[in-house]
Amino acid sequence: MTKEERLKKRHRAEKRFRFYGLASILVALLFVVILVQNIFSKGSSAFKKTVITTEIFFDQDLLEIQNGASQEEIMETDFYDVMIENLIKAYPAKDRAEEDELLKLFSGDAEIEIKKAFLKDNNLLGKTITLDLTASDDIDQLHKGNYPRDLPEERRRISDFQLVIYDYFVENKKISKNFNNYFFNNGDSRDPELAGIGGALVGSFYSILICLLLAFPVAVLASIYLEEFAPKNKITDFIEININNLAAVPSIVYGLLALQILLATIQLPRSTPLVAGITLALMTLPRIIIPCRASLKAVPPSIREGALAVGASKFQSVFHHVVPLALPGTLSGTIIGLAQALGETAPLILIGMVAFVVDIPSSPVDPSSSLPVQVYLWSESAERGFVEKTSATIMMLLSFLIVMNFIAVYLRQKFEKRWN
Amino acid sequence: MNNIKIKSKNLNVYYGDKQALFDVNLDLNEKEVTALIGPSGCGKSTFIRCINRMNDVIDICKVTGNIEMDGMNINDKDLDVVSLRERVGMVFQKPNPFPKSIYDNISYGPKIHGKGETKSELDQIVENSLKKSALWEEVKDRLDEPGTSLSGGQQQRLCIARAISVNPQVILMDEPCSALDPIATAKIEELIDELKKTYTIVIVTHSMAQAVRVSQKTGFFHLGKLIEVGNTEKIFKNPDNKMTQDYITGRFG
Repeated sequence: MTKEERLKKRHRAEKRFRFYGLASILVALLFVVILVQNIFSKGSSAFKKTVITTEIFFDQDLLEIQNGASQEEIMETDFYDVMIENLIKAYPAKDRAEEDELLKLFSGDAEIEIKKAFLKDNNLLGKTITLDLTASDDIDQLHKGNYPRDLPEERRRISDFQLVIYDYFVENKKISKNFNNYFFNNGDSRDPELAGIGGALVGSFYSILICLLLAFPVAVLASIYLEEFAPKNKITDFIEININNLAAVPSIVYGLLALQILLATIQLPRSTPLVAGITLALMTLPRIIIPCRASLKAVPPSIREGALAVGASKFQSVFHHVVPLALPGTLSGTIIGLAQALGETAPLILIGMVAFVVDIPSSPVDPSSSLPVQVYLWSESAERGFVEKTSATIMMLLSFLIVMNFIAVYLRQKFEKRWN
Repeated sequence: MNNIKIKSKNLNVYYGDKQALFDVNLDLNEKEVTALIGPSGCGKSTFIRCINRMNDVIDICKVTGNIEMDGMNINDKDLDVVSLRERVGMVFQKPNPFPKSIYDNISYGPKIHGKGETKSELDQIVENSLKKSALWEEVKDRLDEPGTSLSGGQQQRLCIARAISVNPQVILMDEPCSALDPIATAKIEELIDELKKTYTIVIVTHSMAQAVRVSQKTGFFHLGKLIEVGNTEKIFKNPDNKMTQDYITGRFG
């Protein structure tokens, strides 16, 4: 082979490599686009809810209450009759059967929504207001175009008559889409139009908070001791190997561990963020220790020597110089560890966080759900409305992860700047 | 002739199974510059790291024999290395300022030793140290800037100022100019000349010209053994040992 031929071959090899690399990136990007597009197209409609504009007349005869009633009085009052009386007027129904079908177009919370309007203004007796009442899941999905109306009636959840009412609402501009505050404020519900991730958000927040409080100090102190103070011998080698092994243990194993020790032996309350936080902390611990040690190792030895040479003790050289320099790397490692913990599902299922929880937890020892488990729960539900809620929850989860990773990258870049 | 400040007797150093120094007997005179020369890996740096017990950092390192400063056994297990290093400062091969401000670089040592309790006392120490290391004029208006923003030569003088700041008696310099250009080197050498009035200085160097320029006494190391030691002039003009002769004339090394 001549020199020219060899040179050409080398250039060809490089070109080939560049092509393969570019192709891999394009394939990866394609998958990301498909995933994101899929989630967005399914989930974006969940941030809006369908409402039916209805006139509500607060009839004194139907309410055992006076104008200016106190909050407690209103809460105890039955608004059911007021609701029925007003809702059946939304469409000129002919008989009882038709009225029943009409009522089914509204969500199960219509009475509460009417009560809330009265709570806001307790002088409404004898007056008429227009109120945007949440529509039932079936109407919601139909209005968002997620539900086919050209199926034969027996295969539809909406009857022909209900379609007639819907068309009447559309014609009279009584139906519209609003911001879906229920999705963010409510806990789980059997009715998709009322289900929200409020409970899961609070549950995830408490879990991650407990995970951070437990894992961060332990991981940082363990890394500092192992990296800076521990003698290098067989015991520390053994510990090091096992930390790496623990980081690779499937998360479900931590769930089993928590089930046996935290729930069965110590008898901590089931399905709570407290147990979830402890479990996630156990799982996250080795995953934080590894980047922590790496960032301590990245501090050049000359800094330690410089400090020791002016007479700093070992402790002073570590805590005055090495740790502050390793801190950004430590923090970014911690955030990435927490982001992993935030998306963890398997161990939480084992400790009972899959429970159906309607109430939003007010403390870490209340039963609760969490974001990834909520995704799991809703993805198994048959109702059409939960499909969009599942994707919307994934969107929320992904945006939290993106924000956390962004913070981690930002901290690391700041760290690099400090060196030069 | 000055008093003997540091005296080593039958000093042996081992890194694991490997012996790095063999029975080194070397006296260092007070307020004088002693240069240590020799090919790479001959044990010069190992020797000066015995003087401030920097070898403690290396787990597998073991030191036997005697090394004394003013009659105090440096190698004593019960000796407090913190107070030893307060008395024996060190400047490293590569400038290693802390990634902090110039002011904090200098004030760190005095602070941890409880010197300069008030702000004005600390200011005074910082100013004096920078003046002694001939850096004051260049940095007096930017003491808040990071030490790492200075040029290589300035960084090394900052490290010297940092060593001076705790008012040591001995300053060890481990090839302080190997990372510097000739102009910066000249400045450091000038500085060493000035510093020897106050401090006992030991300098490890690969430059024979530098040893001649700055030192009064020179020791030649080879393969962990101290081959010859004597007045610098004598070592470079008329060495007793054939190996020293070969090394300084560039026949090996």
